[in-house]
Amino acid sequence: MNQEKSSSSAKKPLGVIFFLLGFVGALAVGWVVFPNLLYSKKAQPIDFSHVAHQSEDCESCHSLRADGTYSGIPRIDRCKECHESAQGSSEAEAKLVSDYVEKNRELPWKVYAWQPDNVYFSHAPHKGQGLECTRCHRDVSNEEKVPPYRENLITGYSISTMKMVECEKCHALKGASNNCEMCHK
Amino acid sequence: MDFGRRAFLQFAAGAVGGSLLSPLPWQLAADSARWSQNWSWRPSPERGEITKAAGICTMCEGGCAIQARLVNGNRAILIEGNPANPLTGGGICALGASGLQFLYAPYRISKPMKQTKSRGDVSGFQPISWDEALAELGKKLSEMQAEGDSHAAAGIISSRPSSMADLWLQFFTAYGSTNLFRMPSAADGLKLAAQLTTGKASPFAFALGDAEYILSFGSNLFEGAGAPSAVFPALRQWTQGGKRSVKLVQVESRCSMTASKADRFLAVAPGTEAALAMGIAHLMVRNGHYDADFVKSNVFGFEDWTDGTGKKHEGFRSLVSSTAYSPEAVAKVTGLEAAQIDQAAQEFAVQPKALAIWAVGQPDSVNGIYHQLAFAALNTLKGNLKPNGLVTLTPEVPLAGLPPVQKQEKADEATRNGLYGFLDSVRAGSKQPIEMLLVHEANPLYSMPETKLVEEALKKVPTIVSFSSFMDETAAQADLILPDHTAFERCDDVVGVPWAPFSYYAVSTPILKPLLDTRHTGEVLLSLAGGIGGSVGASMPWKSYEEYLKFRVEGLAKSRKGAVADKPDVQIIKLSAGEAVKPNFTDAAELWKKLKAGYCWYDAPAAIAGFETVSGKLELACQSIGTKGAVADDKLYLPHFELINPSGDESEFPLLLVTYKPSFTAGGYLPNPPFMNKLIPNSVLKGGDVFTELHPDTAAKLGFSQGELVSLKTTQGEATVRVNISAAARPGVVYLPVGLGHKAYDNYVQNKGVNANSLTEVQLDPVSGMGTVWACRAQLRQV
Repeated sequence: MNQEKSSSSAKKPLGVIFFLLGFVGALAVGWVVFPNLLYSKKAQPIDFSHVAHQSEDCESCHSLRADGTYSGIPRIDRCKECHESAQGSSEAEAKLVSDYVEKNRELPWKVYAWQPDNVYFSHAPHKGQGLECTRCHRDVSNEEKVPPYRENLITGYSISTMKMVECEKCHALKGASNNCEMCHK
Repeated sequence: MDFGRRAFLQFAAGAVGGSLLSPLPWQLAADSARWSQNWSWRPSPERGEITKAAGICTMCEGGCAIQARLVNGNRAILIEGNPANPLTGGGICALGASGLQFLYAPYRISKPMKQTKSRGDVSGFQPISWDEALAELGKKLSEMQAEGDSHAAAGIISSRPSSMADLWLQFFTAYGSTNLFRMPSAADGLKLAAQLTTGKASPFAFALGDAEYILSFGSNLFEGAGAPSAVFPALRQWTQGGKRSVKLVQVESRCSMTASKADRFLAVAPGTEAALAMGIAHLMVRNGHYDADFVKSNVFGFEDWTDGTGKKHEGFRSLVSSTAYSPEAVAKVTGLEAAQIDQAAQEFAVQPKALAIWAVGQPDSVNGIYHQLAFAALNTLKGNLKPNGLVTLTPEVPLAGLPPVQKQEKADEATRNGLYGFLDSVRAGSKQPIEMLLVHEANPLYSMPETKLVEEALKKVPTIVSFSSFMDETAAQADLILPDHTAFERCDDVVGVPWAPFSYYAVSTPILKPLLDTRHTGEVLLSLAGGIGGSVGASMPWKSYEEYLKFRVEGLAKSRKGAVADKPDVQIIKLSAGEAVKPNFTDAAELWKKLKAGYCWYDAPAAIAGFETVSGKLELACQSIGTKGAVADDKLYLPHFELINPSGDESEFPLLLVTYKPSFTAGGYLPNPPFMNKLIPNSVLKGGDVFTELHPDTAAKLGFSQGELVSLKTTQGEATVRVNISAAARPGVVYLPVGLGHKAYDNYVQNKGVNANSLTEVQLDPVSGMGTVWACRAQLRQV
């Protein structure tokens, strides 16, 4: 009995080591390895410079339509207004003109904030509350090149697609309803 | 240090603890929810700008104004009624509302196809290019024409009045074949009855909205069948102010939805509606309750008459006064009480605005011509064909006429009505064999009663060419398919609304670009005509179908008649006959622009200005029947009750099968889309089984219980159905809905119930050759 007891107590520090090994290993996998494995970097179809297009405010391109719906990223017709033919000598612009404008194809942009279909989101009431675009979106005022799109391998959505908890927090803070049917209709 | 079981458990416990403090499990849980949003079978509507496009629905002959909701101008997501149209007022039927399920249907034919295996084997269809398809068809047609075999080409097209039908006729006439047939429709009978009595080849039209008493011989007004755009405005007018201003008396054998909503339901034995009409006429004449002035000055054949050769004939008064049409005799035939007949006759005679209607909203049972004449005789006795009366003729839309056809003679009207006669002769192997059959916007293998006849006839035709956009029953049997655009992808028009007294024209413009490699059949015909050349090419000089429609609209503009209903408050149905409508367009270009924007053109009903019969009067004794062949008996000139007995032995088939058209089936060329299938109640279709309606007495006599599976056998075929015991049925009669039991299309459409048309029998009307359908002998037995 005594022998067994001493043997058990001798293994105690070792047990803690095994536990810590597992604990730290899992933390490392969960915090470092997993996020790097989960997201793949994808390039946008062309390098777009927000700085070069910032003669006006966000809404001159990303506008709300008359019916209150949000127009999103401008379509190729909007690009054509200026880029019917190349204005400068950048590689991105040449690609825009040759691959998209001339062929009248839409640019297959990957949208960083794209929400799944089961989320009903309207920009109009949020804008009505006076929220700045940068409250939810990255600040693009000094951005010369769009960042790579980090795509979730399981879902296909972006790493920056807003999570429900963030919506809920702000709704709670502003006194807006957090009822399910507010967003899941 | 050994890593044993205990150490592993310690490690695992640590790993679990560590994981729970990392984002991994929570991220995976959230991701699995988002991942479920990418499942391919979960509908994911395209996002983008929502726009609306106005159009006209051409899926039936109703011509309802619609508007489509589109995302980014190229993905249609909703079809709804267009409130800008004063006739339909934003209303739409279940078929129209489900229309997009045809546009995006998996059974669409995406490109021209050629059958490479045996006929009917769908896996044998191989895609070919449009150039190859057109070259093959054009070559064959040119060869046939060069060999003097033009008549070996035949066509079956939709019964819907449109410029497309006129283009088909132009093509066939110029090509030299009279074998172009339109699918049978209720309008055929109304047209023939009008032709025999008034001498004008335009179907009768009824001012439903103005009537105060309607005697409906089987017209299913509330089922919305036929042209809802014409019927529903009238129904709306009836109930304005919350009170119904019209008394509706429904005469038929089954308690249909219309019968259940009528003020009175006269449940007659099937097929005997005309006996009741004659009985009512008998009482009106006996009691002097008819418009004697109108009959005296405008009607021929009421009294005994003498023909051109000096031979004397019996008149309508004498015939209808015979004891065969006394209330007692009619009661015996119809199964009504004599007092009910008296009451109906009294009310119909006394009401100043009483109207008899038939065939309205009744596409699937067609009465023989003498029965149609009997219904029409009631309107004649009421003087309803007077100027501003309740009955007029469908007015002609003054579109530009097609250029005179060169070389070939124009096909004669009678040939074009006789589809059943034609199919009979093809089946029998006529002297002039048919080499090629072209089928456009028609599915005769499914939608013609007595489908066995069509099946057998089609087997005798060496080449079948289908223009269907869908793999329907007939397209599946084709050798070559040149798919048309769907109703939402093409330019089309609507020429008149059936049974409506006013004039109506609308242009249907595409609401989106064609999704697949399909081609407008009108354009295909124009290009075939150009390829064949000679008189055919010269008779069809338009470069595109739109140019052809513009040409037709130019004629409409030049007529300086009618106006465009560009405001929803235009009272089209309140226009009286001959009322002047001031044109609100200056020229053809402006009219075309307005029509393309989805507005309709309308004009007042046409007053009947004189009759073009032999006598120059409205004929109760139709002298022109004599020109169609020897008339052995005087009554063959006159309306009378004569039931064509169904074939088969009554002892073997003791019941009668009657089909009915419910509001929740599509019925005609198009099948029920899945949305419409949702409307079918469990008492009509459960799983794959259709219910036959049976009176409780009949069910008790046969020992059947509710829901029991039974075998329904008729002289034409056999099917397994379930029993629905319902007091709506008449004892001794079994009822089956039409519009179910497709064998083609896809899993969501096919094998739901039984095609009632495959069990029914068609009899040829002895005068017109028109196929009449009223009942078929049947038996029910346990399975």
